[in-house]
Amino acid sequence: MSATPRHGHLHPALLMRLTWRNLWRHPKRTLITLSSIGIGFVLAVFFIGINDGSHNSMIRNAIKLGEGYITVQPVGYLQAPANDKYLAEGGRLREQLLALELPGQVDARIALRVLVSSPYNSVGAGLEGMAATDQRAQMLKPFLMEGDWLAADDERGVIIGEGMARKLKVKVGGKIVVMAGKRGGDSEAQLGRVRAIFDSSMDELDNYLVISNLALARHFLVAEGADPASEPLTRLAVSLNDPDSLSEWTSRIDSKLGSASIAVLDWQQMMPQLVQFVVLDSAGAYVFLAVILVLIVFGIVNTVLMSVLERTREFGLLRALGLSRLHLLLMVFMEATLLSVLAVGIGWTLGGLVHLWFSHHGLDLTSMLGDSTAVAGTFMDPVVRTELSQARVLQLTLIVFLTTLTTGIYPAIKAARVTPVAALRT
Amino acid sequence: MTLVRLEHISKTFRQGDIEVHALTDINLQVEEGEFAALVGPSGSGKTTLLNIIGGLDSPTDGRVHLNGTDVTALNESQLSDFRLFQLGFVFQAYNLVPVLSALENVELIMVLQGRPESERRERARHYLDLVGLGKVMERRPSALSGGQQQRVAVARALASGPRLVLADEPTANLDSDNATALLDIMHKLSHEEKTTFLFSTHDPRVMERAERIIQLRDGKIEHDKVIADVQAQ
Repeated sequence: MSATPRHGHLHPALLMRLTWRNLWRHPKRTLITLSSIGIGFVLAVFFIGINDGSHNSMIRNAIKLGEGYITVQPVGYLQAPANDKYLAEGGRLREQLLALELPGQVDARIALRVLVSSPYNSVGAGLEGMAATDQRAQMLKPFLMEGDWLAADDERGVIIGEGMARKLKVKVGGKIVVMAGKRGGDSEAQLGRVRAIFDSSMDELDNYLVISNLALARHFLVAEGADPASEPLTRLAVSLNDPDSLSEWTSRIDSKLGSASIAVLDWQQMMPQLVQFVVLDSAGAYVFLAVILVLIVFGIVNTVLMSVLERTREFGLLRALGLSRLHLLLMVFMEATLLSVLAVGIGWTLGGLVHLWFSHHGLDLTSMLGDSTAVAGTFMDPVVRTELSQARVLQLTLIVFLTTLTTGIYPAIKAARVTPVAALRT
Repeated sequence: MTLVRLEHISKTFRQGDIEVHALTDINLQVEEGEFAALVGPSGSGKTTLLNIIGGLDSPTDGRVHLNGTDVTALNESQLSDFRLFQLGFVFQAYNLVPVLSALENVELIMVLQGRPESERRERARHYLDLVGLGKVMERRPSALSGGQQQRVAVARALASGPRLVLADEPTANLDSDNATALLDIMHKLSHEEKTTFLFSTHDPRVMERAERIIQLRDGKIEHDKVIADVQAQ
């Protein structure tokens, strides 16, 4: 006899063979379980993909319409915006940013609180000085109802929203006066001529925004005492080609430009309301995921527990032959594990196909949402495409996998508790 | 040489408020190479005694020594290993793992023992040939008759190289021809392999082939008789 009596050793190949064959002892039952878990997983992938897709669409639009992924602006401006808080050395800061050769776009902007008047009315407004190549300009161009975007050398032209045009009773070609209070109590006024009117369906923009070239807006900063040669700005907006590089570039820009007077902020710091909205809205998706997980738990428990209960005598035999409790626990736990691996595999195969389809073709919500796609100060593209980040794929896989593993513990313990004499007597 | 030594073994079960004495003060020695039968009517304590010898159950009192080891002093994990390396079992029914072929069933214990694949494969084939199942070794239990299944169990019990094979009513579910064939195989292998067999039965055909008959009644040994030359009978 060549084997030296030591300890029983459950060879991995035997364990896998037993696990696989036990799983397919009742093929119909296993297939039904796998199908139900697979379908649940597909639904989870789809709904979470749509959820993430719509949120990301809103975030992207908010970032493009807003202040980019990263904003460089005077310290304290976010907490208490004021026209006398500006970046006096705007030109130099912009050059420094461009020297970083970041993958994306740097837009120089001047944002001011102003009063806009026509012969008929006066309204409070936000003047946004920007170049025609600005990301925000690119976003607003498709919304133009009348007129054309400002020419690069147009020092008097302004573009206003449909709501403001209505209030001021002005049309394309009409004149308005833009006025801003100065530190010390005086005011500065500039004449503007309406070159175009836009309709974004977002009241915050249509009723409030006045767009000009940087030159017109800069008059107000000069009036505050800024040196025009230094190309003063109120902020620099950075767009990134790869949103995942946000934290990397935020810290790089901060170490280069950040100071006691210059703040470098990411979009989440700039738009806390949007972050809050996304978090709250995502809660629904998590509730859905929880329901799916409950279904998965019942599926696995049903299959593995039933298969344990009907094999009590067999477990008794195996224990009698020399398998330890640990061996039995491992065997049943492996069955739950293999079931979950198969379920996640099937889930991702089917879910991946569904995701591919909807990420390419999208889900057209026009009939559901109509023209009103404005949400939380931004807007959602009416055709929502599913999006799944690597983190989300990992999260979904781990949650489903760990849930199924945990679910396998109870049947495994039940199997390990079998005593040979009692089991063989059944 | 004494392989099994039982000292004052008693087993008491509790059924509600009533105590049932399944075994009372059993003292017994089984020598190496014996082909011995535990006989007696139903409820006489045969299965309980086999279970205690095999470490599947523990006595209320007394000691079991097997091949120099005090089985009653082993913990559960040690008992598992003890059964794996020292004992072979043949039960009345449900002896085999349904998802494994006859060959894999015979190999099972040897895999757990950690024997190399080539050795266990060779031994499994050898013992299946010895029990006359060389041609059906790839079949699963559901494709084998009851008699064939019991023969696979015998092959499995012997292939792992045990010191003692315990068989609890191995022929109880077999017809006369199959029962006789199984006993002939067990008896032949007991001699060829020099393996000790202790089996329980109330089947007269089995008793005829035993070399020693230990008669139990009401949990006590009533007779213990060595029959010199069974093969000559």
